[in-house]
Amino acid sequence: MATPRNDMQNMAIARANVYGLLANIFREEPSKTLLTKLAGREFSNALNAHSLSLDDVFESTPCEQLAEDLALEYTRLFIGPGSHISPNESMHTEARFGEPNALWGHQTVAVAKFMAAAGLKIEESFSGMPDHLSAEFEFMQQLLLKEAEAWSDADQELASNILKIQNRFYQEHLSQWVSNFCDKVIEMTDHPFYRQFSKVTKDFVEFEQETLRELICEVEDADRLSA
Amino acid sequence: MALAGASGAALAVGTGQPNKALAGNVTFKNGGRDFSPITGKERQAIPTACWQCVTRDSMMGYVEDGRLVKLEGHPDSIRTLGKLCAKGQAGVNQVYFPDRILHPLKRVGKRGEHKWKRISWDEALDLIASKLKPLRDAGTPELFMYQYGRHKASQAATMYDFMAAYGTKTIGNHTSVCEAAKWVGQESLWGGMYDNWDYDKTDFVVNFGSNQFETHTNHIPTSQRLIRAMVDRGVPLYTFDVRLSNTAAKSTEWVPINPGHDGLVMLAMINVIMNEGLFRKDHFKFMRVTPDYHATTDQKIAAIKKEVAKFTPEFAEQRSGVPAAKIKEIARGFAKAKSACLVTYRGTVMHYHGADQERAAMLLAAITNNLDTPGGRVMGVGAGWKAPSTPAAKVHKGLHVKDGFPNEAAFPTHHVSHQVLPVIKDGHAGRPKVYWWSCYNPGYINGDNNEWQSILKDESIMPFLITSTITYDESSQFADLILPDVTYLERWDWEDMVSGNQIAEFYIRQPLVKPLGEARCQGDVWPELAKRIGFKLAWKDKKDFVRRSCEMTPGVKEAGGFDYMVKKGVWHDPNDKGNYGFYNKKVNVSGDGVILDKKTGVYWNWKKAGVANETAAQKAGYLGTKGAKKAYVAQNINGTPLSAYAPNTKFTKSGLLDFYSDNFKSKGLPAFPTYTPTPEHEAMAKDELIMTTYKVSVHSHSRTTHCKWLAEIKHDNPGWINAKTAAERGIKDGDSIKVSNKLGTITTTAYVTEGIVPGVIAISHHFGREHSGIYGSGKSNPFNGGASSDPDAKNMTWKKHGVHPNAIIPNSSDPISGTQRWMDTVVRVAKA
Repeated sequence: MATPRNDMQNMAIARANVYGLLANIFREEPSKTLLTKLAGREFSNALNAHSLSLDDVFESTPCEQLAEDLALEYTRLFIGPGSHISPNESMHTEARFGEPNALWGHQTVAVAKFMAAAGLKIEESFSGMPDHLSAEFEFMQQLLLKEAEAWSDADQELASNILKIQNRFYQEHLSQWVSNFCDKVIEMTDHPFYRQFSKVTKDFVEFEQETLRELICEVEDADRLSA
Repeated sequence: MALAGASGAALAVGTGQPNKALAGNVTFKNGGRDFSPITGKERQAIPTACWQCVTRDSMMGYVEDGRLVKLEGHPDSIRTLGKLCAKGQAGVNQVYFPDRILHPLKRVGKRGEHKWKRISWDEALDLIASKLKPLRDAGTPELFMYQYGRHKASQAATMYDFMAAYGTKTIGNHTSVCEAAKWVGQESLWGGMYDNWDYDKTDFVVNFGSNQFETHTNHIPTSQRLIRAMVDRGVPLYTFDVRLSNTAAKSTEWVPINPGHDGLVMLAMINVIMNEGLFRKDHFKFMRVTPDYHATTDQKIAAIKKEVAKFTPEFAEQRSGVPAAKIKEIARGFAKAKSACLVTYRGTVMHYHGADQERAAMLLAAITNNLDTPGGRVMGVGAGWKAPSTPAAKVHKGLHVKDGFPNEAAFPTHHVSHQVLPVIKDGHAGRPKVYWWSCYNPGYINGDNNEWQSILKDESIMPFLITSTITYDESSQFADLILPDVTYLERWDWEDMVSGNQIAEFYIRQPLVKPLGEARCQGDVWPELAKRIGFKLAWKDKKDFVRRSCEMTPGVKEAGGFDYMVKKGVWHDPNDKGNYGFYNKKVNVSGDGVILDKKTGVYWNWKKAGVANETAAQKAGYLGTKGAKKAYVAQNINGTPLSAYAPNTKFTKSGLLDFYSDNFKSKGLPAFPTYTPTPEHEAMAKDELIMTTYKVSVHSHSRTTHCKWLAEIKHDNPGWINAKTAAERGIKDGDSIKVSNKLGTITTTAYVTEGIVPGVIAISHHFGREHSGIYGSGKSNPFNGGASSDPDAKNMTWKKHGVHPNAIIPNSSDPISGTQRWMDTVVRVAKA
């Protein structure tokens, strides 16, 4: 029988997995390896649980062709040239301090500092900016894996603190733009792959709002009991 | 959370996605108890250099949290005196504008269909190498053509080094749309080019067709010095212009003049000065005004009087519209002033025989002893950097596509860039297989730009097109491969632009921020590409090139080399008193092989010229020996060998100022500066007008409309038209008007004003963008719909984006220099 601590650990790993996958989906054009994994039964079932399906796409298009199609769609949607949807937070949130939105804006700086405070920085090989959707998701994934490790080490205080840090990052950043970003992709994309994944992403990010609230309540209750 | 298990399974075996976004391990101090991402801001000040226009001011960039937040003038610069113009300050927009190209893109649809696939740099470089290597291996490197818009200093040096090592000389520029006639006119006289005006010491300024207070090739160094001269010392400034530019408005007097008549008014001023005995003889010994190289001063005076006799102020008034009395008044003031500057620019030279009009300007300066003397029109002084270089390839040649059609221009020493693609389309000189353009928008900036676009679009003319750019534009839409260039705020360079005070300033550009996305400096691309093709450059990357240049360059090296320049940004020799009178230096002519050519008075070195023996050299003479100009040593000036005006360009000449030019005569051109009416203007119907173009203060020709701060200030270009001319056509201020000729029709708004001469319509040439992002074109290129990614776009208060006059300006060259004649277009204007 799982202990509450194990539940928390498993929950963190589960959430980390989703963030990790979504970070992969939006980081760049999907590889054939990724597409092969996504075409498997387990993933199909998982999407079905969200009332979504990519089965038709995977069945009707050979993997190689699909990778090429998605490479073009990724370029059109997220790179340009043209009226693309920037995958950077600074281009989607309202301007602050009277400064206009721009690449490498205030939000980019805030995200970079947040990551730095947690001991992380952008990989040299990553061509995106710190507030790229993929980087933000990967950051959450890393926090969650650290949280899971803390639960495993029975370090409840650290785990609790990391949950609060996740919540802060979520409230200050992810909740400010990702849902809106997904709506734009759903409207603009010509391909079911990005439409479905944007729906999944939107669902997950909205789900996270409640999840984080509940998890923090739990750890705060536990904190009070142990005090 | 059904997704979690599936996601975990996918992640556990790897997704094949190659990169991670984040580096490091999650670590928290104090168990995350006092977690705070807020740290104190540190604003760094980094010296660097501008690139918004060719002036290339040294400046300071302020960086906070890895983000460029402000640009301003460099306080220690002797060129800029700490100033930076609006364009320069808006450079911040170049880095962060949302429509910027950040990744290599490969075309996947038809040219112009706007379908692209992002590829890696490795793929891009391999693709380029697969096109270039076979050409080189086959001994046809010239089939690779490179053309640039703005390349200067180390940006040009690194490019030329690569191209020479590769083996192509098919390298195009953009100078004929800029000012080539000015340079050709000057080169035919004093050998060198690039005049400067010594405003710090001058007493009188006459300006023909230069909008120096708004926008100029050396704007910040010159404009503030001229203003200072006017305010502090009461120096008068007379501006001749068809239009009441802001320079004209701030002048002592605006003198309206009909287009194409600047040279005539100068000749009339010379007429006044010569006939009233106001000339100064000091410089006559350096002047050649007749076929005889040894004419006496009196003979020269008589000859000049004779040449300009017909250009009386009254005759000039009839043609130019400038009152004869005004010509006399300004001529007298100019000649009597202790020192005086004669300024010219595009308003003078971008015309039929523009180069000859520049020669008239030089003559006016010379007869008043204001040529390269303190307070006068002086030879520009820039930094002379030393730099590493790679040996040229054994096969090193070019296609003859750069100098226009046969017999189009007599002296295209700066090429005929506006005809490059038409010549390639014609095919008589061959066609490149690969055409690569950079910092250049040929489908926008040339005349008849729609024709240029159609040539780029046609895959049968040039099979592979590459561009390096930061923005999607009228030309890159037709490329086969788009490479994301860095902005100038993300790269290394050494710089060398002309000083305002005759003291050379050495300065560098260094990156203020890391390049965004996958943008890559071309100076870093060349060595990588060379490796893939199979040769090696003498330098690793742009930073290495700049570093080694700093260590090689006398003065900079002793000051502390690269480290000093990184820290300080600028250096000049504190003991330099300013360079004047370079022509007056005594030269030792006792060297081995140096002989005197009796005909011209030139001392030259027959051994250096490669002649078999002295007898043969004496017999052939200086002018009769091919390549002898490279062996020029000195000019015999009244028995003294002086450096004089050495031929250092393609013109073969003596050390005298060739106001009488054998070069010109040999091509059937006027040997002496004269007035040549513009054929199209002579043939104009009564209802036709002349269309001229101009620049506004906040834009370059094609590289700034995506800068939102600048677009907010200027985004539309109505047609300036005189009230009388407008009334004749029933046009009122604000009316929509059509401007037409055989190339087509453009529609704009009438700006009815007394600030332009009758018979002219003036339209600036920055706007009417098809592409360049939401702020320049009103659409997030290439499709309509707005910059969906930029919420700030909703704050745009302007709906107009102007019109592009180049669509109806033909590519038509000055037959002397090959300059594009921007100011000669004939149009009809009517209410729309």
